[in-house]
Amino acid sequence: MILEEPIKGVPLVKNFIDGEWVESKGEIRDVVNPAKYEVIAKVPISTKDEIEAAVEAAKAAFPDWRRTTPLARVRCLFRLKELLEEHFEEVSRVQTQEHGKTIDESRGETRRGIENVEVACGIPTLMMGYNLEDIATGIDEYVIRQPLGVFGIIGPFNFPFMIPLWSAPYAVATGNCVVIKPSSEVPLSQMKIAELVDEAGFPPGVWNVVNGGRTVVNGMLDHPDIQGIAFVGSTPTARDVIYKRCGETGKRVLAQGGAKNFMVIMPDCNIRATILALMTSFFGNTGQRCLSGANLVIVGEDDEFYKSFMDAVVATTSKIVIGCGLDESVQMGPLHDKEKKAKVIRYIESGLQQGAKLRLDGRKKVKIVGDYPDTCFLGPTIFEDVTPDMKIGSEEIFGPVMSVMRAKNLDEAIEMCNSNLFGNAHAVFTSSGKTAREFQYRVTSGNVGINIGIVAPMAFFPFSGMKQSFFGILHTQGQEAVRFFTESKVVIQRWF
Amino acid sequence: MNLQTASAVISFAKSLEDESAKFYQDLSQRYAEDKDVFVSLATENKKNIVQIERAYYGVISDAIEGCFAFDIEPDAYKVETALAEGASYHDALGKAIELEEKIVKFYTDAAEQSKSLMADVPRAFMLIVKKRAKRGTELRSLLGKEG
Repeated sequence: MILEEPIKGVPLVKNFIDGEWVESKGEIRDVVNPAKYEVIAKVPISTKDEIEAAVEAAKAAFPDWRRTTPLARVRCLFRLKELLEEHFEEVSRVQTQEHGKTIDESRGETRRGIENVEVACGIPTLMMGYNLEDIATGIDEYVIRQPLGVFGIIGPFNFPFMIPLWSAPYAVATGNCVVIKPSSEVPLSQMKIAELVDEAGFPPGVWNVVNGGRTVVNGMLDHPDIQGIAFVGSTPTARDVIYKRCGETGKRVLAQGGAKNFMVIMPDCNIRATILALMTSFFGNTGQRCLSGANLVIVGEDDEFYKSFMDAVVATTSKIVIGCGLDESVQMGPLHDKEKKAKVIRYIESGLQQGAKLRLDGRKKVKIVGDYPDTCFLGPTIFEDVTPDMKIGSEEIFGPVMSVMRAKNLDEAIEMCNSNLFGNAHAVFTSSGKTAREFQYRVTSGNVGINIGIVAPMAFFPFSGMKQSFFGILHTQGQEAVRFFTESKVVIQRWF
Repeated sequence: MNLQTASAVISFAKSLEDESAKFYQDLSQRYAEDKDVFVSLATENKKNIVQIERAYYGVISDAIEGCFAFDIEPDAYKVETALAEGASYHDALGKAIELEEKIVKFYTDAAEQSKSLMADVPRAFMLIVKKRAKRGTELRSLLGKEG
């Protein structure tokens, strides 16, 4: 069944500033549905004045909002949660239309986003400080958590709905105001959320959305009234722009970057369940996520196990149904645009040049279900005989490419994981608790999977990350987000 | 084409529930002697849809194998529910029993395929299997009564 598209015509996206929908004076760009390769909306690249207006509005709203009781603040979030549930299917389909992912993936993203709103509804408890009586006789000491002011939230293209919700609900629930900049490639999901924020009754200026690119990002980084930035995107931008500039301007920062995740296969794994988990891990979201599997490491010197496992992986991968994500039968959608497809193809070519063996070639004519242009579609690709020093074995590809390596034993597999520059989400597939514990203990990645191919932390746990995958100290989601968006104030008191 | 994604399987389950609800509504109008039984079965079908959707929309996430959890051949579970104009009550009950058996098989197979992958969805399916198995017994007893 093919589901109906929610975005009709070609709407012009506006900014949401101080509770008003404002048309930008900036340059206008196309928002493209990659499955059909057609323009579905127009988005502005907002100006410096417009980001400054949003920060001003947020700054002006802050004093009243922080004085609003936590209970009253979360009532707005409860209403937002209800509205998101009411519009669950619509917002999910918007994601598929603007990004290209399958409808199951979009619904998963919607659920994950809403879960963060739900967790932030617990702020009256989560935000509590602590105290101790009689630190000296008659003197008490306590800690309170206070909001800081205005925060900037910068989202990537691969999860247009969910990722800003890793931060924004906690920021506003703790009494801060936010300015969100969605990716200009996929602005529609955040606009839909902003419509619901408006309907939920947040006061003007608490939640602002400004569309755009570098000018908006720089406007946030340079603005003295922005207290901190939550960013998710590529490692070079996270490290060299966001983290660096926030350090220079004295802002709090959490900057999540890229990844190269290793899926380590032990010979004692549950083969069927493991292979299905690998399909989701490597080819889900068309490989465009920082939790995707990138390198498959098969452990052991048993050639027969290797051959039978890889035959099964290739057979299952070959059957993946490719097409428009609104077709319920589709298991993998297109890449987000033709430039991203060209980049993945360059990686495939580099794999061949560096001597890897191409077992499944996604560049060949892709069988697409339905009548869609192949502009952004690329089939799943599998390389064998990959080594960690090859580009396809070491760099983030961000596409449906599996690079297969072999390791003699678990020690060597862990060494492979740990020698990579990234440290986002490595996983092991095994039926041995001892192996799993050893892996979990030694591997240097912020998220670790045991028989899980996509190690996506729930909203009440931090979305961690290590090495070149994360820059900062505190993470998004849960208690760590509450700490990121609040300052600890210590009070020592005595009464004469 | 086989159904492989959770979305497609949930839509198929809903269509089975809808079709069987319509079938029991039809029976309730044709056979007044057991009208209440058939109306309650049709109502229960609608509750089943709510139960399935709640399980699916509640746990769907990118961490689980939503696009790869199933391999269901839909034709294997389809039942022709249209009754001939002069169909006897006996024929109608026979058709109902056949329908229940097919749907139980669908939910059992779907739950088995997804049990290690889809969290709460196979559990919801198995709860419906239990309910449907109970109905099978009830329908057989009506058939026995009818002689």
